[in-house]
Amino acid sequence: MNEEYLWDKSGEPDPEIKQLEDVLGTLRYQPRPLQLPELTNEKRKKGYLPWLAIAAALLVALFAGVVWLKLQSGGLKQNQEAVAPKSVQSPKSKVTPSTTSTPEEVVPENKIVQNNAFALHQRKDFVAINRSRQARTPAVQTVPSKEALLAKEQLLSALRLASEKLNFAQRKVQGPAGNPIRNQHKIG
Amino acid sequence: MKSLFQQPPGTLLLVAFMVMASAFTTQAQGPRIQLGNLDHLATKASDTVDVTIDERLIQLAAKVFNEKDDDEAQIKKLVQGLKGIYVRSFEFDVDNAYAATDVDSIRAQLREPAWMRILNVTSKKEGNVEVYLSMNGPDITGLAVLSVEPRELTIVNIVGPVDLEKLTKLEGNLGIPDLGVEAPKKRKNEQ
Repeated sequence: MNEEYLWDKSGEPDPEIKQLEDVLGTLRYQPRPLQLPELTNEKRKKGYLPWLAIAAALLVALFAGVVWLKLQSGGLKQNQEAVAPKSVQSPKSKVTPSTTSTPEEVVPENKIVQNNAFALHQRKDFVAINRSRQARTPAVQTVPSKEALLAKEQLLSALRLASEKLNFAQRKVQGPAGNPIRNQHKIG
Repeated sequence: MKSLFQQPPGTLLLVAFMVMASAFTTQAQGPRIQLGNLDHLATKASDTVDVTIDERLIQLAAKVFNEKDDDEAQIKKLVQGLKGIYVRSFEFDVDNAYAATDVDSIRAQLREPAWMRILNVTSKKEGNVEVYLSMNGPDITGLAVLSVEPRELTIVNIVGPVDLEKLTKLEGNLGIPDLGVEAPKKRKNEQ
């Protein structure tokens, strides 16, 4: 056996060595340019994540908005019910039930008794109410809540003040040219 | 620096919420003036009027107006569609009890293009009155009246489609003293 061949490939190779070289030579390193694999499914999945997050955020925000609107309208209805709660008659003056009266109708103040809105709310929560029967039964009278009366008073006070100031300004500028406020209001 | 899509989903969610929340707040606020910086004047004033009525309270109050009464029916129509009414009025025992910066803080909010000053009355005896309108195209979306007198400071802010003509005509009704202002005659084509 020629050992020089094993050392520096000089001289005659041994047939077995040559055979081994032929067999294993197919597996030797062959230089070639780097080829990156195409986008894997995992990366594609990751690419969807931000869009998924945005869509989820929009959905959650939309849901929150709907809930908020529901709560708002629910609160409004509750207040309307507080304005027109079930009739409470004073012992001094009894009101005869009228079939023509509507829930919107306001009775004179001497015939009504102020009702506690909170107590009404609590009663609504704990007592079963047949709403369909309530709807069929005409309401006898409505009692404006304290909050509504206070709001009305404040509203009138604010409008009085606004009207007074506007009239003062109008009085000062009113001349041959006419009413400037009115003219401004007619824009468009 | 990371791009938007490299941020964690939680951050994106938070940002989306903040954007939504700010949009809701901006829409809800509208032509409303912040009057909180005048609250300190209440301690100096001899009389204070503080009215804060939001849309819910306006609707609540509108329910108790008696439609059979002409005056109340008129006011009910006037307040329909309004989003809020805010009033601060301070009366003082001495002249100039408030600072010019108090008035400036209000005027700073009443600038174009959001607001348009339609009237500015200056009177040494009776003080100054400025009337501002917030418009969205041809529609009025808000009104602000700023009255500055030596012993009185009043700001009225009405948010919503207010009818100025009806509001001006209110004087003389519901116990409001009539200052003798004649209502302008209607044109023939308006009748």
